Amino acid sequence: MEKLLPPDIVKQIGDVFQQLKHPVQILFFGTEKHCEYCSETRQLLEEVTEISELISISIHDVHKEPDLAKLYKVEGKAPATVIAAREGDQITDFGIRYLGIPSGHEFTTLIQAILLVSGRDSGLNPQTREYVKSLTRPLHLEVFVTPT
Amino acid sequence: MVLAYQIAMENPQMVLAEGVEAMEFQELSSRYLISGVPDTVINADAGRVVGAIPEQQMLAELMRSIGK
Repeated sequence: MEKLLPPDIVKQIGDVFQQLKHPVQILFFGTEKHCEYCSETRQLLEEVTEISELISISIHDVHKEPDLAKLYKVEGKAPATVIAAREGDQITDFGIRYLGIPSGHEFTTLIQAILLVSGRDSGLNPQTREYVKSLTRPLHLEVFVTPT
Repeated sequence: MVLAYQIAMENPQMVLAEGVEAMEFQELSSRYLISGVPDTVINADAGRVVGAIPEQQMLAELMRSIGK
């Protein structure tokens, strides 16, 4: 299969991934039903995963694995990418998702999300940290973007 | 977008941060009448932030829309 990422981009990402600290687990959720960008998203994520030993990927289907899709709150949403932390076999969900194909500007976001999770620190200022930690009710942030 | 991810990371038990590609998920983007991006929807329209904003401003908007 032809690669989506050209060699110079792979090299650039490889340089950036030198900063990776701890293992990252990517969970890809696709579907065999009508899904325009599922196969391309999967391929893109697999190519990114190949760049560093610290990144692993598992491939899932929102319809064939409804319990897992529910656990990760991606029911009926494909393609969905979960960027989580991994220690051995233990996966820690940080509530970080991307719905759709992470291409164009959002490809950079994907790389930043991987670095963020790998660092295991939000990097937020103390005031924001304190507020977010004190939340007692769920907060749902949906950030709408376009790939251009 | 990364700011939303940073917020989720600080309290993943309570926070879910989703980046949504508006063209692919048109049902969602039309539900919230998305016209420009980035557009952050807080708790199904309890709050809205259009454009990329600094952390301080996001914090203020969160406090305003979902309370302290």
